Amino acid sequence: MRGPAIVFDNVSLQLAGTRVLDAVSFRVEAGALHCLVGPNGGGKTSLVRTLLGQMPHSGSVRLEGEITTPLGYVPQLLDFDRNVPMTVNDVMALLGQRRPAFLGSSRAAKALRAAALARTGVAAMGAKPFGSLSGGQRQRVLLAQAISPVPWLLILDEPTAGIDEPGVRLVEALVAELHDRGVTILWINHDLEQVRRVAQSVTVINQRVSFHGSPAQWENVR
Amino acid sequence: MNALYDFIREHLQALAATGVLPQPFEYEFVINALLCAVLIGPLLGVLGSMVMIKRMAFFSQSVGNAAMTGVAIGVLIGESYTSPYFSMFGFCLLFALTLKYTQHRTTLANDTLIGVFLSISLAMGASLLLFVSAKINTHVMESVLFGSILAVDHTDMNVLLVVTAICALIGLPLYNGMLLASLNPSLAHARGVRVRSVDYLFVVLVTLVTVACLKIIGAVLVEALLLIPAAAARNISHSLPALVTRAVLIAMFSCVVGILAPMQFHIPVPTGGAIVIVAALVFVVTTVIRATTARFRGASV
Repeated sequence: MRGPAIVFDNVSLQLAGTRVLDAVSFRVEAGALHCLVGPNGGGKTSLVRTLLGQMPHSGSVRLEGEITTPLGYVPQLLDFDRNVPMTVNDVMALLGQRRPAFLGSSRAAKALRAAALARTGVAAMGAKPFGSLSGGQRQRVLLAQAISPVPWLLILDEPTAGIDEPGVRLVEALVAELHDRGVTILWINHDLEQVRRVAQSVTVINQRVSFHGSPAQWENVR
Repeated sequence: MNALYDFIREHLQALAATGVLPQPFEYEFVINALLCAVLIGPLLGVLGSMVMIKRMAFFSQSVGNAAMTGVAIGVLIGESYTSPYFSMFGFCLLFALTLKYTQHRTTLANDTLIGVFLSISLAMGASLLLFVSAKINTHVMESVLFGSILAVDHTDMNVLLVVTAICALIGLPLYNGMLLASLNPSLAHARGVRVRSVDYLFVVLVTLVTVACLKIIGAVLVEALLLIPAAAARNISHSLPALVTRAVLIAMFSCVVGILAPMQFHIPVPTGGAIVIVAALVFVVTTVIRATTARFRGASV
């Protein structure tokens, strides 16, 4: 089985009188590892938000294929209030279960959560206050929640920003593993070297699509 | 439900007559108020902790003030002076939903907008209550503003019971989504939460609870009881289960002690005031615990 294809068809978005996206059209193939690159303010995160259904836009964004699990999403910024008394386990429970998080978790949910935290190298941090974690540790927890359960569509918004070298390697290994399983991955990335290394296809966006193709083709036109 | 209330009341009164329970339990209105406290504790504890996390403390104060306008409208349209629930629920829901709607359509900061609505609700409530004050006696006014256990009857208990059931049936299954929607809307969207809808739903639940608790705590102080137990619990909690459990226990403790202590020691204070003073004392104690215990020192409200 493969993840869904993503089709952006003539997507335009205007925020507070400013045009953020202008007739953006491209397709991410089913099961592809696709990187979205472009300058700051170019509309990458806004485009992802249209995919999440968070932004009112014209044009259409659709998924083609069967989706049997919730999509995984790692946001760019974690604007959690540091003073909220929540442990890493609470945050995982909040994101991954139907039972109210303050009532605890089932044994199965705990096992799933522990496995995801272990996979991203933060197994020992379950009982720690989320607000006390470093930026890199938070990113790992966010990555853990995004793969619990394993999604068929994973959206990453600069997950390696602020992460140390071992963390970057871990993210790349995890993404490669998921890609091998057929998961469709849409990755917003500023690290051009990393894009060249991992991506199967690339879209460059600066309000409009300025390039769409393979990393090799992109190298030639840069 | 009345048969159930009578059953509980008769048993507690029998225990008070034999000296097992304190003397105030001999009074029907005390037992009514305590039954309400048992329902109010979990409601305010669970919802209050969420109000604190979502930084909506003054929203409930605005709704409490709006209830004063609701009472005045009720008097004007001929509803019962003691239980004008139709007007209170109607006006407060309209007020709260208008506030939320405006919040989604303005660039003003939340606290600024809530401050504006708080002032509007206070001005309207105070003006209209004074306008209708000639038609009602001062005790009714006092119970609206500061709460009164003398005024609690079976209708109030039934309203509280229905609101508790609504909160449990709707609020609990959507609890994670409601909290997540305020912590990180993008993540909430990705998890399939209808962020806008749960935002409105939360506002409706807070409004229902605020109005249902009005008879006991009063319009002026209802926000305090939503906030103080949660803030006190926050002082001594590092996890969400601990925060909510402790907020529930502190809210119930404050209600029970706030109702019984003035009767037991013949202190002439309104119920709402007594309950909030007890909650405030608990807050002081937990603040001291936090300041003096290494385990909690890192926590802050």
